[in-house]
Amino acid sequence: MNRGSKIKEKEKASQFKTITGASDKVATECLRATGWSVEAAIEYFYSSGLQAAVPSVDMKGIEALFAKYKDAADGAIRAEGVGSFCEDLGVDPSDVVMLVLSWRLNAATMCEYTRDEFVGGLQRLGCDSLEKIKRRLPEMRGELKDPAKWREVYHYAFAWAKEKNQKCLQLDVAMGMWQLLFAEERRWQYIDDWCAFLQAHHNRAISRDTWVQLFEFVRTVKPDFSNFDESAAWPYLIDEFVDYMRQRQAVAED
Amino acid sequence: MSDPRQRPVELEEGWKDMQAGIDKLIRILEGEKNESQFNAEQYMKLYTTIYNMCTQKPPYDYSEQLYNRYREAFNSYINEKVLPSLREHRDEVLLRELYQRWCNHKLMVRWLSRFFNYLDRYYVLRHSLHPLKDVGLLCFRDHVYVEVKRRAKDAVLRLIEREREGELIDRALVKNILDIFIEVGMGGMECYEKDFEEPLLRESAAYYKRKAAEWIASDTCPEYMIKAEECLRAEEERVDHYLHAATKPKLLKEVEAELLATYEAQLIAKEGSGAAALLRDDKTEDLARMHRLFSRVPKGLDPVADVFREHVDGEGMKLVKEAASAAETKKEKDKDVGRPAKESGGGHEQAFVRAVIALHDKYTGYVADCFANSSLFHKALKEAFEAFCNKQVAGSTTAELFANFCDNLLKKGGSEKLSDEAIEESLEKVVRLLAYISDKDLFAEFYRKRLARRLLQDKSASDDHERSILTRLKQQCGAQFTSKMEGMVTDLQLAREKQQSFEQWKEAKGRELAVDMSVTVLTTGFWPTYKAMDLALPAEMVEGVEAFKEFYEGETKHRKLQWVYTQGTCVLRGSFKPRPIEMVLSTLQAAALLLFNEADELSYAEVAQRLNLPDEDVGRLLHSLSCAKYKILRKEPEGKTLSKSDRFFFNEGFTDRMKRIKVPLPPVDEKKKVIEDVDKDRRFAIDAAIVRTMKSRKVLQHQQLVLEVVNQLSRMFKPDFKLIKKRIEDLISREYLERDAQNPQLFRYLA
Repeated sequence: MNRGSKIKEKEKASQFKTITGASDKVATECLRATGWSVEAAIEYFYSSGLQAAVPSVDMKGIEALFAKYKDAADGAIRAEGVGSFCEDLGVDPSDVVMLVLSWRLNAATMCEYTRDEFVGGLQRLGCDSLEKIKRRLPEMRGELKDPAKWREVYHYAFAWAKEKNQKCLQLDVAMGMWQLLFAEERRWQYIDDWCAFLQAHHNRAISRDTWVQLFEFVRTVKPDFSNFDESAAWPYLIDEFVDYMRQRQAVAED
Repeated sequence: MSDPRQRPVELEEGWKDMQAGIDKLIRILEGEKNESQFNAEQYMKLYTTIYNMCTQKPPYDYSEQLYNRYREAFNSYINEKVLPSLREHRDEVLLRELYQRWCNHKLMVRWLSRFFNYLDRYYVLRHSLHPLKDVGLLCFRDHVYVEVKRRAKDAVLRLIEREREGELIDRALVKNILDIFIEVGMGGMECYEKDFEEPLLRESAAYYKRKAAEWIASDTCPEYMIKAEECLRAEEERVDHYLHAATKPKLLKEVEAELLATYEAQLIAKEGSGAAALLRDDKTEDLARMHRLFSRVPKGLDPVADVFREHVDGEGMKLVKEAASAAETKKEKDKDVGRPAKESGGGHEQAFVRAVIALHDKYTGYVADCFANSSLFHKALKEAFEAFCNKQVAGSTTAELFANFCDNLLKKGGSEKLSDEAIEESLEKVVRLLAYISDKDLFAEFYRKRLARRLLQDKSASDDHERSILTRLKQQCGAQFTSKMEGMVTDLQLAREKQQSFEQWKEAKGRELAVDMSVTVLTTGFWPTYKAMDLALPAEMVEGVEAFKEFYEGETKHRKLQWVYTQGTCVLRGSFKPRPIEMVLSTLQAAALLLFNEADELSYAEVAQRLNLPDEDVGRLLHSLSCAKYKILRKEPEGKTLSKSDRFFFNEGFTDRMKRIKVPLPPVDEKKKVIEDVDKDRRFAIDAAIVRTMKSRKVLQHQQLVLEVVNQLSRMFKPDFKLIKKRIEDLISREYLERDAQNPQLFRYLA
């Protein structure tokens, strides 16, 4: 083995380490397993679940991040802190990826991270710097394509978005969340009709049951509603929506 | 036994004697005049000959030969005499001849079988052969009947057809001939059924097919039905007279199929004279006939019942529309006159309920008289009434109209003057109609409101009627339905007793009140909820209230009195300049008027402030005193409408023809509130039904749950499916229920 390649290997290993936060040993292993391609090695590292075994997160780095964003008055990151966190990450706060990140951090409430959530969550993710978080964002975005995870994120979103002392979700917040979840990549073609319908005919908070059942509705009912069964247990609001849409379609056909 | 010394009798020798006897018999049968009857000696001789020939020792036992010659004697007679004579004749003559021949034959069998009787006793028995009589009949069947049956049948059928066309025929003859068909069966019915009955049924079907086609084209429905009924009657009579009884159901079935079943739809729907027209024109006789006829056909009444239902529904809807347009014109008239719409109404609503009752009476009568009280028509009537009784009538529900109708009957000076019996009857009928209304809870609520007003304002005409309608309601809708109403009536009775003891208490204590006062203590819960208001009472009244409080607290413990001033009545004596007048007022009006004892002039705001009442009530009060019929207060500026800047004065110059006047205070429109209350109660009732069901079932499919809830509540009202859904969702969010995680159609009860 010549000297030159050794130096290159070292460079690659340190590159790998800064990205993944893994130890020298893990870095060499991964790089060797993937024929010294840094990108492939990183993918291998995350996909094989090695990061969980990685203790080598710089807790100080995470603590420093928390300290940077936390509200001066109390021990948690509040809206303002989340705002600058997003800015530093280069992400719009209304980007759906922030929902996925919160989900990964197991955050209970929108625009808020407690110390445990933030520090514990980043540690689990193995991210101790903004850079590392940033690098993980595309992967998180991709998780919405996995049906099981997509469903989990959707269910999580209800509890995350609502006021903690209330059972229902404010209508405007709910509509915002639905837009966030469904509008992107047109995951549901009727999302705008749904919101317009809610505004015109409902104008009240959304129950958890309706939230959950809407997911099933979007997932199972055909766009022409031909397999929609009125006598089934769909929530009242969804029955009404189908009526509304059918009427509009009938009018459109005339 | 034969004499052994005697020489045996040879066959031919003995037979010569027999043949002579047979020939004599034939001559008798053929009616030869100078032939004498058999006497005992001749008969004995013939019998003895047979006896001897059968009892001789073999080979002189001629039993077998005699048995065969017995048969041949019949056959040769048939071949020589009977058949030739039958072949000569046709139709009725043939039938007569056949009957004659049959009678002769039977006679011959009787005689011959007696002559040969000894054969029956041993020979036939021992060899299990046909007895002699049967042999005789068989000869007739095998030779005569077989040959002549077809012609005889045709002849009979022709006679029957002639009779159907109205001719008189010899029924006895036909009956006799048909008896032959039956008798040759020798106990079985095959000959009659195959050789006569089957062709008869075919012919009859064909006959009535032709007739029906002819009539349906030319006759109206009633004419057709009369003919059909007459045909059926005639056929029945025919069977009774000369056919076998077993033919009756078969024959009638054929006739019914041709006359009724085939043309049923066409007949019932016949333009201008079908079932609908008969109902329209009240042709009860024809309707009864229609029922009689079509009850013969399987499922034949269903279409009639359908027409009946549609007709009654249509009549009902007509009433609904009439009431709606009556209300419309009334409203317009009121507008012209300038009367507020509220106070009118009444008349046409009463008329509507009366008309519905009359309609019900009429068609219940139809069901009983024309349709034999059949359950099918009861059901049709019920469905029709349910359909239109649950429509809105001029913006009101029938539940409300029924309640108002009862109120009108039960209150003093109701719009109609009726005898006690007539009132009872009307009450009974309206309660019966209630069965058709799905919103029974709404009726109950309106009824309770009206009842409360009758009781509290002493407007109820008769305690007996009040009690009797409650008994009827209880029977029809259950004890739960009337428990509150009964409580109200009882409350009033107790209140009267309480008032007496209050009087005694006052006397004992030596308390004198400035005003006469009577208090009615009511049980919360039984009565409609009344708006509690913190009225600042005039001092005179306060004294009374305090006294009663003191008395009441001495009598009962742990009960809280709440004063409902809105329901009170006061009598004030107004010292007007022309002359004093007694005024009957509500407590609120009285409190307002009494303010003017201390002040000459008060502004709107001052009145409101002194009475401590909200704006809407003050407005209503002052309007009733200053802008309505009796202007006890003068206001500035004058006018029909009230404004908040108005100032009010006591109108000293007021007077009226009457010494005692009642100043009405228009009630707040309670309709909306009643409906709201009922809606709220319904939500509770649905919640309770859902929770009750889920508590016992733990896990249940959505549809079953909905069904169960509807079932439970149907006695009171018909819950809306959407509402049930909403309540289920509400219970989910209140964590009484949850959806199954895997199957969203499944609900679980959360303990």
